[in-house]
Amino acid sequence: MKKRLLPVAVLATAVFGLSACAGGSNGDENGSNAEGQTLDVWIMEGTNPDSEAFFDEVGAAFTEETGAELNVEFVQWADAHDRFVTSIAGGTTPDVAETGTTWTAEFADSGALEPIGDFVADENLGDDLVEGLVEAGTYDDELYGMPWYAGVRSLVYRSDIFEELGLSAPTSWDEIVAAGEAIKAAHPEMLAFAVPGDAEFGVYPWVWGAGGEVSEKNGDTWESGMASPESQEGIGFYTGLATEHGFSSAGATTWKETDVLDNFAQGNVAMALMGSWTPSAIIEKNAELEGKFAATPIPGKDGGIAPSVLGGSHLSMFSTAENTDLAWEFIKMMTTGEFAEQWGEQSGYFPGQQSLLTETMGSDDPLVAPFATQLVDGGGTVPVTPSFGAVQAKKTTNTAIQAILSGQKTVEQATSDAAEEMDEIMNGN
Amino acid sequence: MSTTIQAPTPAPGGTTPRPGAGPVHRNRLIASSRPWLLLAPALAVLAVLLLWPLVRVFLFSLQDYGLRQIVSGEPNWIGLANYGEILADPTLWGVVLPNTVGFAVLAVTFTVALGTGVAVLMASLGGFWRTVVGSAIMIAWAMPAVTGTYVWVWIFDADRGIFNQTLQALGLQDEPVNWFTNRYSFYAIVLLNVVHHGFPFVAITILAGLLGVPKEMLEAAEMDGAGPWRRFFQVIVPNLRQVFSVVIILSTIWDFKVFAQVYLMPGGNGTNREALNLGVWSYVESFGQNRYGFGSAIAVLLTVLLLIITVIYVRTMLKEDEL
Repeated sequence: MKKRLLPVAVLATAVFGLSACAGGSNGDENGSNAEGQTLDVWIMEGTNPDSEAFFDEVGAAFTEETGAELNVEFVQWADAHDRFVTSIAGGTTPDVAETGTTWTAEFADSGALEPIGDFVADENLGDDLVEGLVEAGTYDDELYGMPWYAGVRSLVYRSDIFEELGLSAPTSWDEIVAAGEAIKAAHPEMLAFAVPGDAEFGVYPWVWGAGGEVSEKNGDTWESGMASPESQEGIGFYTGLATEHGFSSAGATTWKETDVLDNFAQGNVAMALMGSWTPSAIIEKNAELEGKFAATPIPGKDGGIAPSVLGGSHLSMFSTAENTDLAWEFIKMMTTGEFAEQWGEQSGYFPGQQSLLTETMGSDDPLVAPFATQLVDGGGTVPVTPSFGAVQAKKTTNTAIQAILSGQKTVEQATSDAAEEMDEIMNGN
Repeated sequence: MSTTIQAPTPAPGGTTPRPGAGPVHRNRLIASSRPWLLLAPALAVLAVLLLWPLVRVFLFSLQDYGLRQIVSGEPNWIGLANYGEILADPTLWGVVLPNTVGFAVLAVTFTVALGTGVAVLMASLGGFWRTVVGSAIMIAWAMPAVTGTYVWVWIFDADRGIFNQTLQALGLQDEPVNWFTNRYSFYAIVLLNVVHHGFPFVAITILAGLLGVPKEMLEAAEMDGAGPWRRFFQVIVPNLRQVFSVVIILSTIWDFKVFAQVYLMPGGNGTNREALNLGVWSYVESFGQNRYGFGSAIAVLLTVLLLIITVIYVRTMLKEDEL
């Protein structure tokens, strides 16, 4: 599709350029008659296995609705950030692009994004968006990222083994330990609970579940709560699953989330925190596991649901967009109604529109409903500030966990070092 | 005024000077500027492709340059603050530099030693076996760094790696050990990886030099009663001094800049702070955090450091030659 569209796009851009020179503003405000214009869009590759077909359909509907051509370019997640930065530097950003939830604030801070709060307000959409995604897309009290789709991590476990041992899905920390001990005794070859040392999003649920905070803004300064007694208890419990109870393995000390996924798919892991987008990947890697695993919301210390980080994407409008109304038309089309629903179904993610999400929650699929519950009742966000991206880049949390797992530091030492480093980075040295 | 004295000296190029000052001057001007004229296109290309980026990097290093500056295009000068921050960072002195320098010294030593050994072996082989060995080591060389790194990671994987399984089967180890969490075992694995990937170049280069050593010299030395070790160290090595200097300088530069082989290892991406080297550290501190000015400053320091090493090395080599 890319290839077929390119000549069209070039031609259309040229025509648009000429007409813009000649006529200036035609006063067509609602973007519904944008004949001859082209909207350039970047979408991440791999979220939807059949993106090409999906966007062929969207493109046709978009042209019918607005008269404008849609030019979608697929970008790899791995080099997307670099491409955004270089195109921001060169002023060659697309009109609309999918931005990972943790990038939106960063790009907004650099001045590359256009605020979209007014558009959302005009359509009365504000109350129907998933809160965690709105929070992540808001910077300096302005909305920059339109919630598109979301995923969340929950506790995924091997239901066949739980059944075999007469266990039920854990609802508190004590039950996790009890289940782990039973699995360890019956299946010593498996990791009862994987504790990866290089996966920060597996850490925060325990911090929050114990009543701690990652970092909070107090006046003008950020204060990390990683070293508070609550956070230390949460992190102590999580790492203790490996260091005290021996549920994890020496190798897991340096695992990333992808390693957890691979090992779960190979049947080496009985419990782990994994994303709502992983079940299809697990079955794809090992069809034998179909029907043998299920999910449950991450339990808080004494029951309830521990919040888990919402991952996902926004659609953001770049300030280089020439026709913002047209760009908004596209964003609206993608993030609400039919296409948003279809995208969610095809990609295994949840829609960013609350009303659509509520529909999904009615599902009785053991690999959908628990994640949806987690998303709605236990969705959290990491601090929304570009400087938290720097904390992630420096691997502050991962370093602390790995140091505890490998025995380099105690929980107290590692968490207070992490808190200190977070404060230093986030308050800008 | 001095034309009469200069006239007898043959001008470069051997043209006999004709009487009269004008043509002589013009000839000399052309003669002395001709090499520069011929070099000009190459120099211009170098200036555009190498010098200008270097200058830009240096200018960035004097700024606090982030995404915001990229968008606005406004410079944000902060003088030498980036350099101050780098040099005042305890991680640099306690972890990053020891890791980088220590690793480079070991890696260069092992790469050159192994490469030389293989070159000597190949020089003594017949045509067929030389081709076989040559192709075998070429495969090691042709393997992309990323692929090679993953292979080593699999070998040393804590739970299912062949290394741990062998140790356990032999009863040398009760529990699986994660070799990537310890600074020294981590770099031992990087060393294996880098040496394995780097020695073929050394071997091929030195083999080319070895084949150029005159046979008569070796025969004469043998007649004089020199054993194989003496022949190697007193005849071959002095003959190959230039080749060795090239190989060592290049290896030093490469091993200083090791990035992928460390970054892709478990914990090597900055999670294990004890395993940071200069390449990974600068990436994590600058590009990961959009601090391009800071990253440029590290790049400038690395360039200066490598230049100093190269200059010192080249000078000692030249001095030895003069003796």
